Amino acid sequence: MLAVDVKNIKKTFVTKQETVEAVKDVSFQVEQGEIFGLLGPNGAGKSTTILMLTTLLSITKGEASILGLDIVTKDKEVREKIGVALQDTGIDNLLTGKELFFTTCRLWGYSKKDSEKRTMELLELVGLTEAADRRVKTYSGGMKRRLDLGLSLVHSPDILFLDEPTTGLDPGSRRVLWEEIKRLRDNGVTIILTTQYLEEADELADRLAIIDEGLVVAEGTSDELKASIGGDVITFSFENDSDLKNAKNVLNDAIEDKDQLRITVENGAAKIPSFINDLNKNGIIVSSVSASKPTLDDVFLEVTGYRLEGSAGTDSSNELEVK
Amino acid sequence: MESNRSFFVQLQVLTKRMVLRVVRRPLAELPNLIISAFFLFVYDGALGGVFGGTASGTPFDFANGNFINFILPVSIVSASLSGAASGIYLVEDIESGVFKRYQSMPISRWAIILAPMNVGALRVLLQAGLILLIGKLIGADPVVGNVGFFIVLSLAFIWGMGFAGYSVAAGVKSGSSQGAQAATFLFFPAIFLAPTFVPREQLKGWLETAAAYNPTTYVIEGMRSVMVQGWELDILFRGFLAATSFAVITLTLAVISARKATEKA
Repeated sequence: MLAVDVKNIKKTFVTKQETVEAVKDVSFQVEQGEIFGLLGPNGAGKSTTILMLTTLLSITKGEASILGLDIVTKDKEVREKIGVALQDTGIDNLLTGKELFFTTCRLWGYSKKDSEKRTMELLELVGLTEAADRRVKTYSGGMKRRLDLGLSLVHSPDILFLDEPTTGLDPGSRRVLWEEIKRLRDNGVTIILTTQYLEEADELADRLAIIDEGLVVAEGTSDELKASIGGDVITFSFENDSDLKNAKNVLNDAIEDKDQLRITVENGAAKIPSFINDLNKNGIIVSSVSASKPTLDDVFLEVTGYRLEGSAGTDSSNELEVK
Repeated sequence: MESNRSFFVQLQVLTKRMVLRVVRRPLAELPNLIISAFFLFVYDGALGGVFGGTASGTPFDFANGNFINFILPVSIVSASLSGAASGIYLVEDIESGVFKRYQSMPISRWAIILAPMNVGALRVLLQAGLILLIGKLIGADPVVGNVGFFIVLSLAFIWGMGFAGYSVAAGVKSGSSQGAQAATFLFFPAIFLAPTFVPREQLKGWLETAAAYNPTTYVIEGMRSVMVQGWELDILFRGFLAATSFAVITLTLAVISARKATEKA
């Protein structure tokens, strides 16, 4: 049985002023026990998709099921199966970590004794035992995220929805959370996470879907998506705008990316001399050139026509400076 | 591990959580708690000289020589406004995203809505109880005996639940804690469009008319009857009727608005 089965879901918000199609057409399937990533920029429709799948938002059109349960007609049963840590789900800052876990355990129906036991287990799991009696307002951003993750695990859900779990965290805290997410996956929990970080999607997701403007524009494993581009990515930089413009006429298949040209070919490193020759013949001076294996960043550029804000750019391996 | 999701356990857990929140920010709560007690002293100090013991035997002796008995209900009624904190507590949860977390869990919607109202009611009881205690210490002495304090407290509780319901409705509608707070100020004038400082017979013109249509009038008169007059059952009945009607109307509004708030967009 599929963990998550989403078929052509759509979400339209209608107000007096405007109609917004937040999710136009999203479909994907998630197998049990895998981490599935939804990658996309802000406003792409990732969080809206998660809100619909977690039964917090109605679906305008389409259908979806969680472990075979329809999320519209079986929403109560669905909530039993899922854990949710959304971007805007709050944590009560005036309570201690221990009190929050205990309260949440009681709300899930555990007895007082079982709640105490489960509280200690979860504090240990997310590494907050020492901070258990401190009020949450004294926690760092990373600790709050771990607490949030822990709270979503109280009832041992089969499926966990994490909406941008590491946004705003420093690299160290991010890595700690990644390890915890992987450990959960290894323990059999299916995880659906949204992210706008390419590195995170690459590191965590067994499979991922790239969402842009409410549509799934690519789907597969990270390697499949990179392979779909075909070959290596060669990046050319030029002395001036004029050379860049002229080079576009020589390298017809190249994509302009800021002040660079990028072209994807088989055996990229071997073909660099021939490209440079062609450009030189046309009086174009190449200031630097590099060949690299495609990254998710390249995939994103290929399928959307633009880069994710703050993305790292191409892998610097095989880079060849030409002077 | 066994699982028992009783509505009452959920309500109790959520209420306890909210009580902890209230207790842990005393600077935000204490001023409200003592302000009505402060006004009791002010009213007694400023007006007690005119309408109190020295007015005994004159037409200004509204309180049979004990002005504190006469003015205590005004402080109690204004303390009941603190039930309005319920709406603010609920909206704080909406603003912080805690409300959404609870929505994603199989928790009774009613428990989520009733918990802040419980805390609002507890707050009214605490505040009114404190004022009654101070009143007792400075000479309040219901003519029907100490049971009068219980009757006053019961009326305050029902009246406070009314404000709790109103503030929840206003808070959910406005979507902000400031909105919930601002909406409750609408009721502040109601305290003064009533026989606050003198009996209703002494009010003239438009104020007399306004007081006749103001439910606060009947609540104050109900409390005052057991403090000053004795067992005047018709006055007491009107007081409970006004408070209960107000509570039923506002709780209905709260339920309607809360239902809309918990519906999926």
